[in-house]
Amino acid sequence: MTDVGSKDSTALLRSPLHERHAALGAKFAAFGGWDMPLEYAGGGVLKEHAAVREEVGVFDVSHLGKARIAGPGAAEFVNACLTNDLGRIKPGKAQYTLCCDEATGGVVDDIIAYLHGEDHVFLIPNAANTAEVVRRLRAAAPADLDITDEHRDYAVLAVQGPRSAELLGRLGLPTEHEYMSFATAELDGVELTVCRTGYTGEHGYELVAPAADAVRVWDALFGTDLPVRACGLAARDTLRTEMGYPLHGQDLSLEITPVQARSGWAVGWSKPAFWGRSALVAEKAAGPRRTLWGLVATDRGIPRPHMQVLGAADQVVGEITSGTFSPTRKIGIALALLDSGSGLSEGDTVEVDIRGRRSTMTVTKPPFVTPSVR
Amino acid sequence: MIPEDLKYTAEHEWVATRGGTVRVGITHFAQDALGDIVYVQLPEAGAKVDAGDSFGEVESTKSVSEIYAPIGGTVTARNEALGDSPDLINTDPYGEGWLVEIEATDPAAVDALLDAAAYRELTQS
Repeated sequence: MTDVGSKDSTALLRSPLHERHAALGAKFAAFGGWDMPLEYAGGGVLKEHAAVREEVGVFDVSHLGKARIAGPGAAEFVNACLTNDLGRIKPGKAQYTLCCDEATGGVVDDIIAYLHGEDHVFLIPNAANTAEVVRRLRAAAPADLDITDEHRDYAVLAVQGPRSAELLGRLGLPTEHEYMSFATAELDGVELTVCRTGYTGEHGYELVAPAADAVRVWDALFGTDLPVRACGLAARDTLRTEMGYPLHGQDLSLEITPVQARSGWAVGWSKPAFWGRSALVAEKAAGPRRTLWGLVATDRGIPRPHMQVLGAADQVVGEITSGTFSPTRKIGIALALLDSGSGLSEGDTVEVDIRGRRSTMTVTKPPFVTPSVR
Repeated sequence: MIPEDLKYTAEHEWVATRGGTVRVGITHFAQDALGDIVYVQLPEAGAKVDAGDSFGEVESTKSVSEIYAPIGGTVTARNEALGDSPDLINTDPYGEGWLVEIEATDPAAVDALLDAAAYRELTQS
C-alpha cells in the first residue's frame, strides 16, 4: 500500500462549517487552498453519491469564490468580459459562463453569474481562481464600478437530489422557481439566496448565506425528519463526472479552450466583445485540434486523469482529463481530449493505458447518466 | 482495529500464518484511508512473488494503491469473492476482505515483520 497517511493542512482556509464536518467524522482534503470535507464517517463516496441520486444530500461548497460587481453598467461590463450572453437572461436568473484569456481563448475559470440587475452582478468562480478573476475584472473595469472579492463572506450549501425540494419546503424556503433562477428568502432570521443550480445532474439548490450564519442553515437542513446525508467533495466529483460537467483545472484550463471542451454553448458568439473572442472565433472556424469526448470502459479498467488514449494502430490519440468509477453505472467512465486528426467519433473503440495494462473503451457523448436537473 | 495476532508491514498489509501458507490483506487503517474500494487486481494462483514486489492494486473511487508482497513465495489462492464484492475489503478487512494466500519460500521471514504494537506506533506517528 502506498499514498496513505495524513496531510499537512496548516496553511489551508477553513469553511465556517468546519466544526460540523469534524463532528461528523469527515476526512478532509485540500480544494483550491481550502480544507474541505472529502467524505464522511459512516458514508463514503458510494453512499453519498447514491443519496444524491436517490434522496437528498447536502454539500458544503463554501470554498467556492464569491465576487460582486456593482455600479452603473455592471452587467454590461461583465457581458463584455465573460463569454456567455447576459442579454439572454433576466434579473433573477443565473448563467454558466467562462472567463477566457484575451490572447489565447484558454479558460481562466468557469463561473456562475447571478444577474441581480443592470447595476449588480454576483459571481461564483472556483476557489483557486477567484483572486485571478477579480484581478482581471478590476484591471478592465471603469472607475465607477465596485468589484469586491467576498470569498470568505458567504457560505454556500448545495442541497441536491430528488427530495431537495421537499427538504427546502419543510424549512419554508422557496422551491418552485425555474432552473437557473434564484430567489431571496429568510430562514430562522438568516437572509439567504436560493438558486436552482448544482453540479450533480439532480434537481437541486445552492444556498448562499452569510458565513456567520452558516451553522444555523446547516443545522436547519439536518433538523428535519427527512433522510438527509452530508456529502463530501469526492462524491460531488463522481456525480459531476457522470454528467460530463467539466471541472476547471482538468477538463477546462488555460490550455483547454471552450471550443475544444464543447463548452461553446456558454459562449455568446454574436456578442461584439468578450475576452478571447478573436482567438475563439478563429478556432471555431478552423475547427479545434482536439475535442472533449466521453469514454466508457468495456472492461474493469478505471481511467484516471493524464492517462494516454491509444488508437487502433497503438498511436497516442489523446489524454484522459477526468476519469473515475461511475457509482451509478458501476463501470469506468472518463472525459478525454481526443485529437481531431484521429477521426474518432461516437461509437468508436479506443484503448487506455492503465499503468501498463490496456483497457478497451467506447467513445461516447456525455452525459453518462441521464440528468434530472429540472 | 489492529488485531494482536497478526503481523504487519509498513505498507499497511497484514499477514496471518495459516499452517504452511500465509494469508495477506490490507489493514483497517489502509482501507479507511483509501475509501470505498471498487476494483482489485490480484495475481493468479501459481504466480511467484518476491518480498517487496508490487503484485496487485486496490482501487477506490478516488485513487489506486499498489499492494506489495510482504514475503516471497508462490501465490496459492486469491480471494475470488472480491471480483464481485471489492467492498468486502472495507467492511471486513481482516476477514472476508483478505487478498491472497502465499506459500512462503522462507516461513521464518514472517517473524521479521512488524507486530501489532509496532504497527500501531507506525499509524499513530
